[in-house]
Amino acid sequence: MFAYVVRRLLQLIPTFFGATLLAFLVIQLAPGDFVTRLELDPTQDRESIANLRQQLGLDQPLPVQYAKWLSGILQGYLGLSLSYKTDVWNVIGQRILNSMVLVVLATLMIYLIAIPIGVYSAIRKYTWPDRTFTVLAFLGLAIPNFFFGLIMLFLAVWLNDLTDMRILPIGGMTTEFIHLGNLTRAAQLLFPFALLGTLVFAGLFWQRSRRGQAATFGIWVGLVLFGMSTLLMLAPLLQGPGLPERLPYTESPLWARATNVLWHAFPVVIVVGTSGLAGLMRVMRGQMLDVLSQDYIRTARAKGLSERVVIYKHALRNAVIPFIAGIGGLLPGLIGGAGLVEVTMAWPGITPALLEAISAIDIYVIMGLITITTVLLMIGNVVSDLLLAWVDPRIRYS
Amino acid sequence: MKKLLILGMLALSGLALAQPKVFKGTEPGRQGGAYRITAISDPRTWNPFVARETSSTDIIALFLPTLTGYSPYTQAPEGNLAKSWEVRNNGLTVIFRLREGARWSDGQAIDADDVIFSATVHADQRVNSNSRSSFILDGQPIRWTKVDQYTVRADFPKPYAPALIQGWYIVPEHIFGPAYRAGVQQLQALWNLDTPPAQVVSGGPFKLDSYVKGERVVLVRNPNYWGVDERNNPVAYLERYTVQIVPDLNAQLARFLAGEADTFSAANADQVAQVLERIRGNRLRAEIFPNADVTLGTNFIVFNWNHKDPFKENLFRQVKFRRAMAHLMDKKSMIEVALGGLGQPQWSPISIPNKAFFTDDVVKYEFSPQKAVQLLAELGFRSKNRDGWLVNSQGRVLEFNLVTNQGNNVRERIAQIFRDEARKIGVKVEYRPIDFNELVRQLTSPAADGTREFDAILIGLTGGIEPAFSRNVWELNGSLHMWNLGAGGKNPAKVEAFEVLIDTLMKRGATTLDQAQRRQIYVQFQKVVAENLPIIYTVAPAYNPARLTRLGGMFPKEQINSITGQAPYIETVFAKE
Repeated sequence: MFAYVVRRLLQLIPTFFGATLLAFLVIQLAPGDFVTRLELDPTQDRESIANLRQQLGLDQPLPVQYAKWLSGILQGYLGLSLSYKTDVWNVIGQRILNSMVLVVLATLMIYLIAIPIGVYSAIRKYTWPDRTFTVLAFLGLAIPNFFFGLIMLFLAVWLNDLTDMRILPIGGMTTEFIHLGNLTRAAQLLFPFALLGTLVFAGLFWQRSRRGQAATFGIWVGLVLFGMSTLLMLAPLLQGPGLPERLPYTESPLWARATNVLWHAFPVVIVVGTSGLAGLMRVMRGQMLDVLSQDYIRTARAKGLSERVVIYKHALRNAVIPFIAGIGGLLPGLIGGAGLVEVTMAWPGITPALLEAISAIDIYVIMGLITITTVLLMIGNVVSDLLLAWVDPRIRYS
Repeated sequence: MKKLLILGMLALSGLALAQPKVFKGTEPGRQGGAYRITAISDPRTWNPFVARETSSTDIIALFLPTLTGYSPYTQAPEGNLAKSWEVRNNGLTVIFRLREGARWSDGQAIDADDVIFSATVHADQRVNSNSRSSFILDGQPIRWTKVDQYTVRADFPKPYAPALIQGWYIVPEHIFGPAYRAGVQQLQALWNLDTPPAQVVSGGPFKLDSYVKGERVVLVRNPNYWGVDERNNPVAYLERYTVQIVPDLNAQLARFLAGEADTFSAANADQVAQVLERIRGNRLRAEIFPNADVTLGTNFIVFNWNHKDPFKENLFRQVKFRRAMAHLMDKKSMIEVALGGLGQPQWSPISIPNKAFFTDDVVKYEFSPQKAVQLLAELGFRSKNRDGWLVNSQGRVLEFNLVTNQGNNVRERIAQIFRDEARKIGVKVEYRPIDFNELVRQLTSPAADGTREFDAILIGLTGGIEPAFSRNVWELNGSLHMWNLGAGGKNPAKVEAFEVLIDTLMKRGATTLDQAQRRQIYVQFQKVVAENLPIIYTVAPAYNPARLTRLGGMFPKEQINSITGQAPYIETVFAKE
């Protein structure tokens, strides 16, 4: 096992050089460079254009440019952004973190919703609920994210009009000013309900565990959601009354900033989540149907096990193996951003920055992102393989 | 006692600025309030020597001063940091007097040292500032020297008409000076986006307060600013200026519709309709001014006179051919289809909003396929072949490729309309959108023998207020003399008479100081271009500004123009509620 891991890690080295070289060549093969855009500016003379090319090192031969970049990478330096004149990490670091908020929340939402629905659809296949979910899934797959994002924006404007309140944000990730007073009052209003919900689910949990049963999925979800809300509301309850009515975002306490970002993330996560949800739901359903038709399920039923045990212990555990193995594949996706919806909904993620870098041909920003993604992809693959061996006893590496 | 005296002097200097600039607003304003706009992309830097794009300079302009600029009312030169000037030596020398008592936001005086230092750095070839061309005139440097603490002097190698427009940014010498002396790299690393905003010193109406990447830039009022209103109250009125970064135009519209942005420029009729509908439904207290003006940008077709195919080169050099092509431009349909009904036809190089130089009195080759057919017949294209294409007596088909940059919907539609009209009379136009950078390469990079490969390109340039700044397009050896490009900075090998005339007019326009004479020169220039069509202009998109009614100090409808915008000065804009 150890030898296998070492071998896999060693294989990463040539793959890394190959992938980055290829990416570098592809970017350079495209016509034009960072300075091309300026050539159409009537106030720029030939001389200053040539000067700029020389200053940015764009006039050097490709192998030299690649070698320079590579020697930086080996020292952990991603290079200097041509348009921002600063370290590439400064340009993309914060944006990758911003994108991660979306990607993590959307992934959680997808897994938490898709797997139960997939299982349900498989067990009650061709019933009305199953058909409804199928139709919704295809709709979710068919609507492009960026378009759904725009619809969401106009929905937000419409909803805010209708209620004359700011129910949903009009894009963005934060607001300039946070109304701490409103947050505090909302917390005071909602806290009893959240606490009640938590107590109810905790009671259910306790009751089941006293009878020696595992808690159901629904109880888990209820407990986590209500519990989290209760904990989140503690901070404004305790701290809120002593704070001014409103403060600029940058000066607000952490809980207010977190709530603000979560509020802005809500519609975006729904948009990002739906398409992924739709796909995963169908895959889960297919997997489950596959497993349910296996001989060992028939055997399990034949020996008189309850349907619950058959489905959750025998069928589901086998059906989710591909998902667990896929977790490694999520790793590069974490920094890859949520796609064009970040542009349409003004989320300051990595996608708008990448698009800007590509259109300006800011090579080192593009290369920096590709490098990080490549490394994470390679590590993710190794992790996937190891996870697979861990969950599936039929697979052994030696 | 001595301490008291110094304190007293400090208080005095703080209270009474010796020579403030008086900003004449459109109405009396009041202090306070916030102004929120949207921008399509993040700034790249706060350093004016590094900045190359409007997303950066639009913000830098709020906190760094310039010597002079254009008056928003008359478009004549107006002093900013320079309170007055004096032209000597038949225009070869200009003496600028600075506002005494002007200070940076950190309390240091803004004086001649800052101005001379900034000029030196902008002119430095190693720095390669975007304003470098303001310091060179026909290859010779413009020399800036300090006369005394509040006087600077500029010496020009020859009389220069835009000499009074000095729009480059002045930086605090006490901050940039040490870095510059340590090396160009250190200078360029200053004031990048990771610099804490408090360290960015301001000499303009606002100063940086905070920046959240990808979200917003917040500026607050600079209490040390050297401006007042007509009643001697300090400006800017606004307490806070926020730039929200919204990379999508529809999302920008949504922000405006929700009342979260104070101004908006509608890009097409659809967006205008959405704003109007909301105003009429009483859900947004705003105003919109569709077709208030046209934008400075241009869209035109240029043919390649350096073609490697002698037949095409000869064809494109025929003025009759170019006039025929101009007759094929259905500008009415272009405005209807490509611009959504909002725009104006353009006939000559100076943009319509540029009132000081624009003339409408030029030859117009209006849409008329019959006249095009006739002109092409005069060139020998009289009959059609079996496929319906026009051919000459040698059987050569009249055909060319037209390209424009992919993704620009307006240009793509204009190109298609032109192609369709040309094909109707038998001119075989093949239209294809291509990558922008590839298009620029084809346009600006001739092969070793001086030939270029494209046939015709539909492209645009951003116009400006000063015609002399477009010399790279019109002078014979210009790097953007795009129809007939000389190799390596020399004149083209084969030049038509009218091109020489344009070259002469441009050079005379740049060195004539009398405004009336200058206008005459540029009027003639527009006539020559419109008649000979080295560049065939199409249509100019409309400027459709909108704003919330909570803003005061804005232009009334008649005064709105795409050069200045919706308000004369940002200093005199205020919030009514």
